[in-house]
Amino acid sequence: MTDARIEGYARALFEIARAEGSLDEVEDELFRFARSYESSDALRNALTDDMIPAAKRQAIVEDLLGGKATETTTQLVSMVVGSGRGRDLPAIIDVLVDRASKSKNLEVAEVRTAVALTDDQQARLGAALANATGKQVNLKVVVDPSVLGGIIATVGDTVIDGTVRTRLDQLKARL
Amino acid sequence: MNALLTAAHLIAGEGSHDDKGLTTKSWIFPERAELIYGILASLIIFAVLVKFAGPTIKKGMTARTERIQKELDSAAADKASAATEASDIREAKGDIAGERQRLLAEADAQAAAMIADGATRLDEEVAELQARAAADIATARGRGTDELRAEISRLSSTAAERAVSESIDDATHQDLIEAFIQKVGASA
Repeated sequence: MTDARIEGYARALFEIARAEGSLDEVEDELFRFARSYESSDALRNALTDDMIPAAKRQAIVEDLLGGKATETTTQLVSMVVGSGRGRDLPAIIDVLVDRASKSKNLEVAEVRTAVALTDDQQARLGAALANATGKQVNLKVVVDPSVLGGIIATVGDTVIDGTVRTRLDQLKARL
Repeated sequence: MNALLTAAHLIAGEGSHDDKGLTTKSWIFPERAELIYGILASLIIFAVLVKFAGPTIKKGMTARTERIQKELDSAAADKASAATEASDIREAKGDIAGERQRLLAEADAQAAAMIADGATRLDEEVAELQARAAADIATARGRGTDELRAEISRLSSTAAERAVSESIDDATHQDLIEAFIQKVGASA
């Protein structure tokens, strides 16, 4: 999909979420869904297989998110998948999240950790990243066991890596 | 001849005629007249022969002499030619022997050169093969070392990853998170 089309879908989702008055929640749910989509081959294959009818793919989305996410989030994902743009879902959501953050004068800070962060840790980490980058951040935490331990934070073009995975990779390279 | 003798007898009137013909007194020698007439007749005939047949005979003899002389000259020439040819053959034989010696010497020289060249080339090929084998061995050794090093690295990293992942408990996770937050917060 072209950047213009991704941008268009993202803008449409953004406007719908904002119109529904649940932009923050929808944005957060969509972000977590996008990360799950990226990490799951089965989910990605199911939502992008053209041999599966659109209604069936939308039913899969509703089964996955039904009761776990807001109705708006479920409907937005279902709409994108039903229109055959499942492959671009993460890109569309990332643009949406970025747009939502910008609308609040925030910079998206994607944080990956091996274990979930407590609210206190998220608050302190957000403050620390804001302090380090000089920008107010919209913290998006992704639990990713592949980092093994520690945290890696990406704010715009800045990457702060304190993961065990990276240290092991450095050790491997040194070996 | 008998007719001439009879004619001579008739002219001389010698001898006797009887019913049996002429007879002589001696059974060996003819009558004198007959002898004289016979000699004269013979001389005449001889003179006639010398007169008329002599030149022809002489010419034939001369021609025969010349022919024999020519044959003798030809034989002498042939002999000389044969001698020359024999000399040439002997000379050629000598040349052949010399040529044979020269060819043999040349062949020996070429064979020696080929042997020397072959030996040199063989030495070069052996040296090249040895160098290539040494290089191959070094390469294989290096490759083996690299592969071993890579395998050790892979095993080490796998073991380290497993050991680290197994050793990281919740407290360690929290320590790492807190350390990261403090580090980032302090890096302003």
